[in-house]
Amino acid sequence: MKWVRWSHKWLSIVVGLQLLIWLVSGFYFNLMDHEKVGGNQYRQTPIQQSSINYTQLLEAKHILAQAEPAISIELIHLLGRPYYLLNHHKGLYPHFKNRYSLYDAYQGELTELSEEMVKALALQTYNGSGKVASVKLLTGPIDDFAKQKNATWQVNFDNQVNTSVYVEAGSGRIVGHSDDDKRFADFFFMLHFMDYGGQGSFNNPQMMFFAFFTFWLSLTGFIWTVHLAKRGHYKRL
Amino acid sequence: MKNNNKRAFHLEKRSRTFHKWCMLFLSVQFMIWSVTGVYMVFFDIDYIHGDSLVKNQQNTIPLQQVQVSVKDLHQQYGEIESLSLGVFIDKAVYRFQSGERFYLVDARTGKLLSPLDEHAAIYRAKHEYTGTGNVVSAQLIEQNPPFELSPKRLPAWRVDFDDFGAPALYVSALSGEVVTKRHEWWRLFDWVFRFHVMDYQDSDVGNKLLFWVALFAITGGVSGLILTYFRVLKPQGVHK
Repeated sequence: MKWVRWSHKWLSIVVGLQLLIWLVSGFYFNLMDHEKVGGNQYRQTPIQQSSINYTQLLEAKHILAQAEPAISIELIHLLGRPYYLLNHHKGLYPHFKNRYSLYDAYQGELTELSEEMVKALALQTYNGSGKVASVKLLTGPIDDFAKQKNATWQVNFDNQVNTSVYVEAGSGRIVGHSDDDKRFADFFFMLHFMDYGGQGSFNNPQMMFFAFFTFWLSLTGFIWTVHLAKRGHYKRL
Repeated sequence: MKNNNKRAFHLEKRSRTFHKWCMLFLSVQFMIWSVTGVYMVFFDIDYIHGDSLVKNQQNTIPLQQVQVSVKDLHQQYGEIESLSLGVFIDKAVYRFQSGERFYLVDARTGKLLSPLDEHAAIYRAKHEYTGTGNVVSAQLIEQNPPFELSPKRLPAWRVDFDDFGAPALYVSALSGEVVTKRHEWWRLFDWVFRFHVMDYQDSDVGNKLLFWVALFAITGGVSGLILTYFRVLKPQGVHK
């Protein structure tokens, strides 16, 4: 029993504060407004104009013949106009590394999303007040969407919750919305996952270290409790 | 000075009693939290999600095969949506929606390939599967999907392999795509998560049980930290 008490005490020094952070952040996840922390306070589904003029539409094969080999070619609509979206390197998930190209489905031109188009795409999904304050192309890691690995435009609105709309540069896909409510929750996730580098993951060495020793703290505490119970320490206060 | 010592003495004693009694009720839950936490932290989440079960094939569209045009499809099927041209194993295929239905059409012959039969579904699953094991069963799920398959993916074939961890790939009967995959480690992870958030049915983090237990646990944790301060960091006090 001596080693149990000894290790419980010393382990509590090692993991005590982190354990409290886990408890408090876990408690916050229990309390938080699950609607708000999605970051989608001003999100709307854009009304798609999906009618296609088939006499004007170029064949997918025609586009493929002039493009790099593709794994798939998809007819999509951006701002009411049809485009062919080619995928040349397919990630297992959309947020994994993907390589796309975009062709105008009527004219056949290779198209890159312009800042104006990105702004318009973002506005289609936004129903709040406030104006677009800035538009930025992010090629590195994204704080609001740590898992997104593709170049992404960030469209910032000057509303009360500082909404940002993220549009994938290669495909025009809406990665998502974020705002201060989501960022506040993200801060607690960062604490709970010890994800100080913003990797969007809880499989990091510091987590493994603390989880391992917290397990021993719990186990020794459990043994101690059983021991106390056996010795009759729980008979009265 | 003397007063301070006296007050500190009380705080320590009270914390000890509280911690002792608190943990009579909570030590099991603390064990559950830390064991489930260790499981989630040590197993790489991409592995848990079965990413290593699938090849993520990068076959490019064989252009010479594409004989059917988009206009042909429009003529035959009417208004079409969500159209794409891609690859099904080694065939160029169109995938699209018309009305409420989804279609998979051979781009060379125009033949309708969906809904997939068992043979095609197994063929597709094997094509994507990284393991070496054999298919033990294939089952078409049209309604009441298990927890691990989203109802949006129906109908789908579940193809089971006899490898370590009982892996299964789910192949959409309509698009021919591998829509999700599972093995025992992911299924266990789902249970582990339920125990971690104390909701044994819906994995809902906002549940009342967790609220009360976590609140109680925070006080238990704080009393433990107070003890750490008095008993380990500053052990020169008056205690037995």
